[in-house]
Order: sequence, then structure tokens, then C-alpha cells
Amino acid sequence: MVRAFPYLLAPSFWSSRNRARRRERGDGMRAAFFGVVALGVAGAIFGGAFWLTQQLAGFADFGDYLLRLGLSWLFLSFLSFLAFSGIVTALSTFFLSDDLRLLLAAPITARRVFHARFARTVGLSSWMVVVFIIPVLAGIGVGHCAPTAYYFVSVLAVTPFVIIPVAIGTAVTLLLVNIFPARRARDILMLMGLLFAGSLVVLLRMIQPEQLLRVESLPDITDFFATLQSPVTPLLPSFWAAETVFASLQGRLDLLHLAALWTTALGLVVVLAAASERWHFAGFSKAQEARKTRFTRFELLTRATRLLPISVVRRHLLVKDLKIFLRDVSQWSQLLLLLALVLVYLYNFRVLDLDRNPYMSGMIKNIYAFVNLAMAGLVMATVCARFVFPAVSSEGAAFWIIRTAPIPLRSFLWSKFWTGLIPVFLLTELLTIAANHFLGVAPLLRVVAAVSVLLMSLALVGLATGLGARYPRFNADNPSQVAGSYGGVAFMIMAVLFMLTLIVLVGWPSSMYLWYAANPRVTVPGYLTAIGAACFVAALVLSLSTWWFGMRTGIRALEEMG
Amino acid sequence: MISIQNLVKRYGTFTAVDGVSLDVGEGEIHGFLGPNGAGKTTTIRMIAGLLKPTSGRILVNGHDLGAEPEAAKASLGFIPDRPFIYEKLTAGEFLRFHAGLYGMDDAAVGARATEMLELFELGRWEHELVESFSHGMKQRLVMSAAFMHRPRAVLVDEPMVGLDPRGARLIKDVFRRMSERGVAILMSTHTLEVAEEMCDRISIILKGQIIARGTVDELRALAHGASGAVAGNAPQLTEAFLRLTGGSGLQEIDEVL
Repeated sequence: MVRAFPYLLAPSFWSSRNRARRRERGDGMRAAFFGVVALGVAGAIFGGAFWLTQQLAGFADFGDYLLRLGLSWLFLSFLSFLAFSGIVTALSTFFLSDDLRLLLAAPITARRVFHARFARTVGLSSWMVVVFIIPVLAGIGVGHCAPTAYYFVSVLAVTPFVIIPVAIGTAVTLLLVNIFPARRARDILMLMGLLFAGSLVVLLRMIQPEQLLRVESLPDITDFFATLQSPVTPLLPSFWAAETVFASLQGRLDLLHLAALWTTALGLVVVLAAASERWHFAGFSKAQEARKTRFTRFELLTRATRLLPISVVRRHLLVKDLKIFLRDVSQWSQLLLLLALVLVYLYNFRVLDLDRNPYMSGMIKNIYAFVNLAMAGLVMATVCARFVFPAVSSEGAAFWIIRTAPIPLRSFLWSKFWTGLIPVFLLTELLTIAANHFLGVAPLLRVVAAVSVLLMSLALVGLATGLGARYPRFNADNPSQVAGSYGGVAFMIMAVLFMLTLIVLVGWPSSMYLWYAANPRVTVPGYLTAIGAACFVAALVLSLSTWWFGMRTGIRALEEMG
Repeated sequence: MISIQNLVKRYGTFTAVDGVSLDVGEGEIHGFLGPNGAGKTTTIRMIAGLLKPTSGRILVNGHDLGAEPEAAKASLGFIPDRPFIYEKLTAGEFLRFHAGLYGMDDAAVGARATEMLELFELGRWEHELVESFSHGMKQRLVMSAAFMHRPRAVLVDEPMVGLDPRGARLIKDVFRRMSERGVAILMSTHTLEVAEEMCDRISIILKGQIIARGTVDELRALAHGASGAVAGNAPQLTEAFLRLTGGSGLQEIDEVL
């Protein structure tokens, strides 16, 4: 008996079920943490959508117009995301996945393989959108007192809406893989995606949305709406989905747009199935073929490291880590996104118009200096979680080379520490100094912030390196998986707690000093000076002990491994 | 060169290696045989420094692995059963990195790396990324690395897995030449023909304990005696191995098929 194609999806469900059944250390804590965060985010999205819908209801027809426009924009923004996600996911599910060899060697028709793989692609690439859109549409429905049919129609509209862009994305992948080798296509796509995301972030920031809050820019509002209306074209599935949902919100059924959604989705699936039958195997076969890999030799890098005053072993470890990082597109391309975020970060401080209120500007600038320090700390914690924490795990199955080599594991871990510390410190220090310069904060605070960043770098990089060695995931597919593990979450919690404590310890005495400096007629009581000095010492002790604790934990864990 | 004394490894209540003692002398090729799950790989991984023994002592070139791990590892070359290496390095870079870990002088590394790559027929792949290598090529690259720093003892876990006949012949020749130069080789294998052809002595491990040790002829004679057979034809090593480790299971295979 030939089983229907959903049978081919069974291993994925069984794997998920087995993962859920298997209990590992820290599972409860991780589930509780992520559960609370997820519920909080979903609640906030629902609350936001509900509040906005209720506010718009007060503007009668204009409110409805804005709601309709908002829905079109919501679906439009998801459309491009889904298409891109579809391209990347299809590359893995249709061409690179390990289980494909088993499936293609089995007597299964190409059409069944296509249906199973496409269902998987749709699921994997759209779950995030669906999880986000549920509280949004629920908030709008409750806020608008929508009839029960609204919720059913929403499901009927969202389902084909996610299928259409994913089908188009899969078709693009099918085409790309038949032109380029699959692995090369993945690198190209990943780079394109990150450049796209990075430029989008920079572009959105450069539009200067804060101008809308200025009273003098109000006459331009009509132009603004005209601009908003322009990309909402009736030919896009996002428009059909928005119109269907909006009509059901009003108690009507927009059969025309609903039919357009379903016929397009089903039509695309049929055409794609035929195309897949024709070209999938050729693309898959091409993906298996050996190719001569193109890569950069980095001879200059090797020569430059010879100038560093470090031991031969450290130098080789450093060169190896740098070359592996720079040759892996999925690794270094993350730096582009980071660069975009840094630019936006600095630009935000550049355009802050603090002089609008001269009376407050001095105080606000100094408060911003601490906000800046906290932000820099958050950037540092995130960079550490993403790049430093997975450093030991990134050795993967090749870790035996280090463990059987005649080098103390302590040297190996210290090498990881220094490799992480220097870029993290330089990035955050430059960010802090530049942002404080743009803000024009008091000289004392600039020095305090600069020293705090140094202390933070030592502590957070030490903690990330050490906990990364204490909770390694050598079998993880990528560093993001390592960062999201129990140890990664534990690191983030500890990092944020450390950072907040440090900011309080250096912020309180600094602000006291500035207050007394601004009021020269009031003398500083002796006990306050003593408490202030104690706070600075406590900040130093806290940072150094966090650093020591992290590295010691990591070294012990490595030495006791096995 | 390699000496292990009363080595024990327990995982909770399960004892994987139970009081194993073994000596591999200078220039000796010592085979380490046993059925699946007998404790071969666990023992090898403990000697390589990848697993911590529950108790017992490991000496490599006179250095206690527990007390002086760096000195002991510096004299040892390790070839694991699965050749996991850094995929984003080239073969040449991997060898140079490996040499760096063993503290080799930079000036000597280039020539030695080329020499090892040529020996293992990987010369023309020196500047290619490891990710484009086949399993057999990766295995040969790991072997090049293991011999790079001129170790006094070599530990090999399943050397012939994934090698073609030409590769297998090459490895046998290299091992023989190394043993002639005084290198002690401890080799775990399932390929009894290889053990029969290459090993000076063989130890057989079963359920974590050494149950027999000797030359091929001694083991055959031992198996002959153990089976209670009438004096005369001593069994081949395969037959001797099966007798010593508890039967061939051929009857069950017949019943199933």
C-alpha cells in the first residue's frame, strides 16, 4: 500500500516528540524563561493591536481607512519576508538536507517527495509570521468587536497567503540551484539576505521617522499618507489577504479576494510540482557534485600574526580561529548586520535634538551617558553570546585535535578569551566614546564610561568564554543554536545582572559628584566621598571576580571533561 | 613506549574497561582486537587523553599521562576512527596548525608538511580546503598529521575504515617503516587480516578485560586448546578470534536467513 505524502513528514514529528520527551539539565528553567518571554511578547502584541484598533475606532471612516491601510502594510511586509525565507528554507529542505539521500533512494514518486518537502518548507518558513500574526489579528478582532466568522475567515486568508510567497521562493531556489551549485547558492543568498536586512535597517533610520513628531512637519502628513498608499497594489496577494480580513471585520465576506488567494496558491503548487518533477533531481544531483572551493588564503594575516608577541601555540590557535571565521560566510556575514546596527546606533545619538530644552539638556545629556553605557553593555552581551560563547563549541567534532595535543587546555581557553576580548573591547569602546562625543557629556563621565567598558569587556568576555566551555554543544549545527542553549541563556541572564549592577555602582557616585559640581556652594559630606570610592572599588572587584569566575569555571570544566 | 597498568573506566554502574594492562615496546606493532562494545575505543581514547580513567596508570615514553599530560602527548601520535578536521582549513594549513600545537619550529614545518603530504599521496591537494576531501583523503591527512612531529608512539583506532586497497596498502607500508624506525604502534582493528599481516603481538579484549595476548601463532594455539579440539590443525586468526570471544553466530544467521 502506498502511503500518502504526510507519512514522509512523520520522522520530523517523531523527532520533535522525542526531543520533547527527553529531559536534559536546565530544560525546565529554559522552558520557563522562554515561555514567560513568549507569553509577554504575545500579550504585548495583542495589547498593542487592541489599543490601536480602539483608538482608530474613534475616528469613524478615517479610522477604518487607516486600519485597512495598516492591514495591507502588515501583509505586504510579511510577503517579502516569507518569499525570502522560502528561498533559504527550500535550499535546505529540497537540496541540502541529509535525509534526502534516504528519500530519493527509496521507491517514492517525485510528486510525493515534492508535496512532503513543500509542506515542510511552508511550515518552517512561515511559523514565525503565523505566531506573530495570530495575536495581531486577535487584538484587532477583539478591539473591533468582530463577529466570530472573522476568526475563521482570517485562518482561511492567512493559509493561502503564506503558501503563495513560499511557493515563489521555492521556485526561485529551484532555478538558482540548477544554475549555481547548491552550497554556493546558499552562501550567495545568505550574503544577499544580510545585506538586504542591513540596508533596510539603515534606510528606515535615515528616513528620520522622528520628524513626524515635530509640530512643524504636520502639513506634510497628507503627503506621508500618499506615500504609504503607493506600494499597496491590488495585484499583490498581501492586498487580497488584507481586503478579505478587513471585509470579515465589517461582517462581510469578500469572496473575490479569498478566491484569488486560494486559486493562486493552488495553481502555484500545481505548477511548482510539475517544475519540481522536471528539474529537482537535476538540481539535487548537481548539489552532490564535487566542486573546487573558492576561498581566500589570508597569507597577509598569517604573516601579520608573526609580529604579535605571543607564543607559537597561541599564534597558531589565533590564525586557525580567524581563518575558519573569515572563510565561513554564515559567520562573517553576521558582522554586516552588526555594522548596520552600529551605524544606526551612532546615528541616533548624532540626531538627538537635546538642545530643544536648554534648561534640561545638561542633565539629560549625562543621563543619556548612562543609557549609552547600558546600551553598549547590551550590545557587548549580545555580541559575546553570539560570537564568544560558542567559541569552544565551534571546535565541534574536531576538538579531539586540541585535546590530544601537548598543550594545557587552559592555554587553549585563554587563547579563545583574547581572540574574543580584543574585537569586543574595541567595538564597544569606540561606540561609547563616539556616542558620548556626539552627546557632549561631561568629561568625568566620558572617563568613567571608558573605564567601565574595559571592566565590562573583561568580565563579559571571560564569563562568555568560561560558560561556553562549561556548557559546550559540540554537535550544534550553527553558533546561534549554541547561543540559544541552556548555557547561552544562563550567560545572558548573568551578563544583564552584572551590567545593571556595574552601572548602578559607577553611576550613583558619578551623578552625586556632578550634582555637587553643579552646586559649588554645597560641600560634599565626607561619608559620601567614602561611599562613592567604595562603589568604584566594588565595581572593580565585581568585574574582576566575574572574569575570574568565568575563566576558572571554563578551565575546570575542560580539564574534567571525559 | 606505551604502558598501561590496571586501567579502569566506569560509567555509573557499568564498567567499560576493567583492569586492562598492556605494554607496547619500541618498534612493536601491537594489535588490539575485540568485538563491538568490548572496550577497545574506550581504552584507546583514555590513552589519547580524550577520556579520564576511573583508575589506573598510562605511561607514554616514560611520562605519566595523568601527571605530565603535555610531555606524554608530545611523544604520541593519535589517529581516530573518524577523521573530523577543521573543514575550512587547507590540508597544508591543517598540518602547519598541528605542528604548531606540538611546538615545532616554523622553519622546519614547511618542508616536513610537504614531505608528509607527498608520503600520503596528498601533495597536489595541499592548498585545497579539507571540506572538499573524501573520507579516505581526510583519513590520510589525519595520518600525515599524526606522524608530522615524529612521535615515539602512535595510537590508531580502526586505520583501514574508508580506505581503498591502494590507500590500505600505503598505510600498511608506512606503519611497517615507522615500526622499523622504533615507533611503537598500538592499533585497534576489526580487520583480522590486517592484524594477522602486520602485528607482532595481539591483545584480545572482551567485556572490558584482556582475555588473551600473544603472537598470531600463540593465539591460534590458545584457541585450539580452548575449543578442546584434537591436536592437529590450529584455526586461522578469524576462527581463533571467534572461538575466544564466544562463537561465530553463524548458526543464528542461517536460521534468520
